[in-house]
Amino acid sequence: MRRALGALAHYWPIAAVFVGWDLWVVLNGYTTVVAPRPGLVLADIAAEPGAYAGDLLRTLLTSLVGLVLGMGVGILAAIAVWSSAAVSGVVTPAALVLRSVPVTAMIPVIARVAGYGDSSILLIIVVVSFFPAFVLTVSGLAATPAAGRDLFGVLGAGRLRTLVRLQLPHAVPHVMVAFRLTAPSAVLAALLAEYLVGTGGLGHLFSTARSYMELERAWGTALLATVVSVLVFVLARGAERRVGARFS
Amino acid sequence: MSAAARRAALATTGVLVLLAGAEAVGRAGIAGPSWPPLSEVAAHLLDADRRATVVRAASATLASAAEGLLAGVLVAAAAAFTGLLLPPLRPGLDRLAALLHAVPVIALAPLLITTVGREATPTVVAGLGAGFVMFVAFSSGLSLGGRRSTHDDVFDALGANRVRRLLRLQLPASVPTVLDGLTLAAPAAVLGATIGEWFGAPRGLGVLIVSAMQNFQVTLLWSAAACATALSLAAYGLTTALQRAAVRRMA
Amino acid sequence: MAQTTPSPAPTLTVAPPAAVALSGVGKTFELSRGRAVSALEDLDLHVAEGEFVAIVGPSGCGKSTVLRMVAGLERPSTGTVVVEGRSPRELARSHRLGVAFQEHALLPWSSIRGNVALPFHLAGRPVDAARVDELVRLVGLEGFESARPRQLSGGMRQRAAIARALVLRPDVLLLDEPFGALDAVTRRRMNRELARIWSEERITTVLVTHDVEEALFLADRVVVMTGRPGRVRHVHRVDFPRPREAAITRSPEFHEAVDLLTGLLDAEGTA
Repeated sequence: MRRALGALAHYWPIAAVFVGWDLWVVLNGYTTVVAPRPGLVLADIAAEPGAYAGDLLRTLLTSLVGLVLGMGVGILAAIAVWSSAAVSGVVTPAALVLRSVPVTAMIPVIARVAGYGDSSILLIIVVVSFFPAFVLTVSGLAATPAAGRDLFGVLGAGRLRTLVRLQLPHAVPHVMVAFRLTAPSAVLAALLAEYLVGTGGLGHLFSTARSYMELERAWGTALLATVVSVLVFVLARGAERRVGARFS
Repeated sequence: MSAAARRAALATTGVLVLLAGAEAVGRAGIAGPSWPPLSEVAAHLLDADRRATVVRAASATLASAAEGLLAGVLVAAAAAFTGLLLPPLRPGLDRLAALLHAVPVIALAPLLITTVGREATPTVVAGLGAGFVMFVAFSSGLSLGGRRSTHDDVFDALGANRVRRLLRLQLPASVPTVLDGLTLAAPAAVLGATIGEWFGAPRGLGVLIVSAMQNFQVTLLWSAAACATALSLAAYGLTTALQRAAVRRMA
Repeated sequence: MAQTTPSPAPTLTVAPPAAVALSGVGKTFELSRGRAVSALEDLDLHVAEGEFVAIVGPSGCGKSTVLRMVAGLERPSTGTVVVEGRSPRELARSHRLGVAFQEHALLPWSSIRGNVALPFHLAGRPVDAARVDELVRLVGLEGFESARPRQLSGGMRQRAAIARALVLRPDVLLLDEPFGALDAVTRRRMNRELARIWSEERITTVLVTHDVEEALFLADRVVVMTGRPGRVRHVHRVDFPRPREAAITRSPEFHEAVDLLTGLLDAEGTA
């Protein structure tokens, strides 16, 4: 009983969303063409999970690959510019400017330049994931305490050894912050890009379901997209906390 | 040269190199016909006739983003204060904030089109994007789920009641965190407005960008994208300046 | 101990009722999965009106917990804590407590004057500007009234915190390692100033510290606590006349007392 109350204290918003959604549809007298009730949407997912599964996996996989590639390149680029204060002073502000490009402006431009298709979608996620990893790794490398650097200097450690043994471990929590920030945006970018120029994935499923007026399917896709994004966020936050605690 | 001047010089160099690189790629045609030289984009934006379309769209987006930001901040503040007044709701509100933070606005935009209508959707999506961020900022600023500090002990021992604790401790202490949230919420409002516009609003940069993409109007596409970036940067820059000033004043 | 336990029945002796009375106090903290640790057991401590009592003990002996219970920040698991005939929380709610912790906990956005005046605001009373100025003068912060805490040194911040604790003329003053974060030289100077300030205000005071010399220099009685679970091991009466000057710390009696109490603490550490 106490456990049930505890769960209620923490998870009442989820129940509230569904009840609110249902009441809102019923009280406004919306027909299924305007907004379906949550029961119908859940029934559609339960009846034809196969109709969603392929696109769901595709979105997850594209997001994950793009996220790993983008963050990896971002971290490597940060290590490359870190050795010179001048180079990182030149590159970081430019990266900050590019980071401010709204994804809604970036997707059409990249799609126009690189072509409509899956490779463009991957490229978009890579670009979206690159900048936070780059900027935060640079600041993480710079945040190494001076005492640590002095110690390594006194011990006669070379640049590479100092980087590997001291500065990279110090940068890990910053990289994990980048991961937590980027993971949901990578999923959002994937959904938006699939919606606009994709040939598959939840975003594409959503846009086709909408144009064929399959409202249960469209809302079901939106619901799944929300669940996926929230799960990705929760997992990324958990990873950040766990790894961050280990390294700081 | 002072350290600050040196930093500024390096930063300016970096941005100039970026612009020059984009210009060179466009001139050489490396990336194909859809990557114009930036000078053409600048010419587009400097030409009063051609600029008019972009400016009209940008002001629509700015209006949606600003209204959405304001609404988002107000609603988020109201929700956070509800949690302050009704402690049993706090764990749930906390969880709610974390969840809302992660909700992809794309999932909501089309639903809003059918309910609040095409005109209002960009504003509402901007408000949701900004509101989620601000709710997280208000909650953590007022330390709703937070640990106790020595300040709390002092206020307890001095017999402060809830209202005085709120006015003298929690509100002032929350200002830097809330403004920190604002530096994220303002660009999020710009992004939210353009997402709302993608899904069928009658005007705005989002509409212009999508239609320019589909109609192969390359310089128009880049001009509109540059404008959206400028709006987002300005939103970030202004709020960051505000946040820094407040931190200097408060800490 | 020369204290009487507080008893409502009038007696013929003129011993004053205790200003602070802890009787049979125990405190257990719940750990995860139903385990619990006993921080204090069966602790009796009485502080007379206008008396300065210092509690010393090894770290983790629960001395701060004692203070936090007197401040109403924690409740005892067993026994009672009575302050000025009332529960600590009642006393706090009527704004009759003064506290200073190791962390100064000044409001960073407020000036020194604003910080010293804070208890007036929290009590919902009009600020007595003359009293605030008097306290600022008393702790030697004249000229720094409009400075922000971050512009001051650690010692000056602690003075401001002590001025804040005293400004409402509290019934009871509670000090938890107020100079614990300061360097040894500043700390000794702050002790001398606290002795001077205290002889002007004469407020019932409980000081928690791990520094035996500080305790002997400031207090009328020093309570030595044992660790895990915390109990009173020894009570030492300090008879140096007031106002006390730094000279007493060089007297043989002072050294003798320091050696005695340090010995008690060390025995505890090796036990």
